[in-house]
Amino acid sequence: MDSLWHYQFRIIMLGDSTVGKSSLLKRYTEGAFLDSINQTVGVDFYVQFVELEPGLRIKLQFWDTAGQERFRSVTRSYYRNSAGAVLMFDLTNQASFESIKEWHREMTETVKPFHVVFVLVGHKSDLVPQRQVERKEAEKLASSLGAKYIETSAKSNSNVDDAFQLLTLEIYEAVKAGMLSPNKDWDGVKSRLPPTEEPKPRSNSL
Amino acid sequence: MVGPDDAGAQGGAALFPAGRQEEEAEEDGERDGSRSRSLSGGSGQEELLLQRYLAGKVGPTAPAGLGCKCCPERPPNGAACVLGPHGRMTNGDAGFLLPPEEPPAWAVRTEPGPEEEEARLPNGGVPHFLPDPQPEPGGGASRASPPAGPALEEQLRSCYLGPDPEGGAAVGSGAGTESPSEAAAGVRTPRDCSDGAAAAGALCPAPLGFTDINLNSRNTYEVSRRRSAPEHLPHGGTPATAPAPSQEPTDKTKRIAVPGSSSGGGGGITDFIVRNFFTKRTKELKPGLHSAPGWKLFGKVPPRENFQKDSKIIQQEYEARTGRTCKPPPQATRRKNFEFEPLSTTALILEDRPSNLPAKSIEEALRHRQEYDEMVAEAKKREIKEAHKRKRIMKERFKQEENIANAMVIWINEILPNWEGMRTTRRVRELWWQGLPPSVRGKVWSLAIGNELNITHELYEIFLSRAKERWKSFSETNSENDLEDAGVSVADREASLELIKLDISRTFPSFYIFQKGGPYHDLLHSVLGAYTCYRPDVGYVQGMSFIAAVLILNLEEADAFIAFANLLNKPCQLAFFRVDHSMMLKYFAAFEVFFEENLPKLFLHFKSYSLTPDIYLIDWIFTLYSKSLPLDLACRVWDVFCRDGEEFLFRTGLGILRLYEDILLQMDFIHIAQFLTKLPEDITSEKLFSCIAAIQMQNSNKKWAQVFASLMKDNKEGDKNHSPALKS
Repeated sequence: MDSLWHYQFRIIMLGDSTVGKSSLLKRYTEGAFLDSINQTVGVDFYVQFVELEPGLRIKLQFWDTAGQERFRSVTRSYYRNSAGAVLMFDLTNQASFESIKEWHREMTETVKPFHVVFVLVGHKSDLVPQRQVERKEAEKLASSLGAKYIETSAKSNSNVDDAFQLLTLEIYEAVKAGMLSPNKDWDGVKSRLPPTEEPKPRSNSL
Repeated sequence: MVGPDDAGAQGGAALFPAGRQEEEAEEDGERDGSRSRSLSGGSGQEELLLQRYLAGKVGPTAPAGLGCKCCPERPPNGAACVLGPHGRMTNGDAGFLLPPEEPPAWAVRTEPGPEEEEARLPNGGVPHFLPDPQPEPGGGASRASPPAGPALEEQLRSCYLGPDPEGGAAVGSGAGTESPSEAAAGVRTPRDCSDGAAAAGALCPAPLGFTDINLNSRNTYEVSRRRSAPEHLPHGGTPATAPAPSQEPTDKTKRIAVPGSSSGGGGGITDFIVRNFFTKRTKELKPGLHSAPGWKLFGKVPPRENFQKDSKIIQQEYEARTGRTCKPPPQATRRKNFEFEPLSTTALILEDRPSNLPAKSIEEALRHRQEYDEMVAEAKKREIKEAHKRKRIMKERFKQEENIANAMVIWINEILPNWEGMRTTRRVRELWWQGLPPSVRGKVWSLAIGNELNITHELYEIFLSRAKERWKSFSETNSENDLEDAGVSVADREASLELIKLDISRTFPSFYIFQKGGPYHDLLHSVLGAYTCYRPDVGYVQGMSFIAAVLILNLEEADAFIAFANLLNKPCQLAFFRVDHSMMLKYFAAFEVFFEENLPKLFLHFKSYSLTPDIYLIDWIFTLYSKSLPLDLACRVWDVFCRDGEEFLFRTGLGILRLYEDILLQMDFIHIAQFLTKLPEDITSEKLFSCIAAIQMQNSNKKWAQVFASLMKDNKEGDKNHSPALKS
């Protein structure tokens, strides 16, 4: 059923419709890519286990939301329990890049007072000639949002693992720093370590 | 991968001792024989018998390497045929059909060739496996004596590890570490024998149950305890001279060294060496794939070699091996995938014993033959069973089709002409539940959904042309257009149109009919586009494309649009597509009432995870299950939805939960969520509908409508903590 894990982080995928949220997750968790993946209606779910450091297993729960504006009110209700958020835009679609600010704002507003860790992902990096957003401006936006930036391509499998590794690490750092912590009223981070333990990697838990 | 490996993994140790004994007896003889042969000194009856036996089985030999007859097709990677000159290679198994030259070839092969690299132990050495001389491992004296452990021993001792100077120790440990999971019956790791092995290599007794080992473990052989006596190696020096992997028979011959000088030391050793060698290789090949040379697992050709062996030989080998291991089931599993012809199936699995191994003795060969026959008989039985099963399924299908055909006649001739009068009769409702015949489906749906909105074909044309205009104007300018959509911003409209286009290609992508260039692409685009013009208050929402697509598959364009518009106008659909929070919450609340009523255990399980209905219901309700169920099954659901109304949508949801209740009870939040949003594809209509039928939409005498109505009245209750999803 559930493998052994030390932490469970809930991560939500945010971004306009068709930027590639589902594809990125499918590539990451299943190693597959479909040119025409089904639309996400409502929310889809993905799981992945990562070993951040030897002996430290993290279970990642992905909530892949429908990007359409209409679903915002539904998906908004899922924001609150997320430890991390992937803000994704399509490098070949300037409009999707411009939406990022709004996604970020809505997320932070909704989850207050909880903290959430962001990563900005510029997706479809394989479509070089159609690129509309320059790396520099994306990096600028990322730092203004307090997030790291990475460019990915599910199709060419570029930086996919790195993107999630990056986010997971950031979340873990936040947990260590006490900015995020397991809480019975919050599902963003769950821990199987004994409650009194410091958030240090242990070789065995649960 | 099922099969020998698995079998080996568990039973290895046990089998080994058992098998070893008898094998040993035979092997020895053979080895002796082969050794002799290899020494080109062949002698003895055994040898001759063997030869004859082999002759009957083995195909023409060929020079090793590319011209190998055993591999009519070059191995994909162009590597030399592992089989060696006689093309009788199995994956790591000692070939029992050893032509005179074989043993040398194999023996020589202590240095893995390019394509044999995988077989190398981690440290580069090649482990040798030698039979464990059960009787006391005599000194090198008794070479001449047949099934004598000593004889084997001798061979063992004289075999060398191979060019790897690190020698046996390293090799042994290497092999040892690799054996864990592979340790199969009779698998031995050189580890044991490698202790103290000199550079010359440790001689480890090969498992006697050669065939067993081969079958069970792909890769490693457990090396039984035995002393390694490098100093006994008569040809200690020889190995050193066998550096480059050569598949040239000549080289091998050379190599084979002949520890053999005496009674067949060489053959046996080389056999073992090679055998071990090959098993190693198998292990390192793609996981789960019996792709060692000579093995074709499940019909897949081994990546390297692609030779066609005499199928009989192949089967025989396999049979023999499987016969020895006590694990027919894996075979059975495999066989299921094969054609009826037993020969062709078993041929896929195993090939001859690698020629590097000593040939079987007559007794053994005969026994193998017998076992083989038994296996073939068994295989035949299984396949007959399979055929019967297939026949049964076909029969059922015919019956179903017949039923549909009959029903169709009734619908067309009796029901449709008297629709209003008959639609509520028990008989019609019963027929309806069975599923509408596809040819009348569209019609019945149309009739059932109705046309409250009074849309005509002309009206459709009007909205369609408006939509087309808009698309054109949007692509030309970005300004607002004449048709002011109530409350919908330009950006939204644009996004919708653009989104429609993108979504269409993501609708039933596996059918390839709605994608750009597909037959129904434009149709779908038209219906959706016209709808957004017709209902700007609803606009385009993801999920709609599935509904429209299903309608298009069953109705003419204009009729599909009419059905679509009316369907989306139903209260439930309207509430969901407009994302009317409070309404949605009421639906979820009503759903949960019946959920708790029908599946209390699962209900509590979900509650414990705060797995609220929105998580899975949104997908189901928005698309009317057309995304979550196989299309034909979704259509059956739509059939009854047309008959019973929105209540049926929630009843179906409960039916699904009921169908998978057992699995769901064991899952945690994320897995349940994942499972429910991606239902298994093998769901059948019989199973689902029987589960749905078992769901009673009754809660203390109240039906869905009443429950829902009371929820509507009681606002507070409806908005209570049912789904965080609809709370801001």
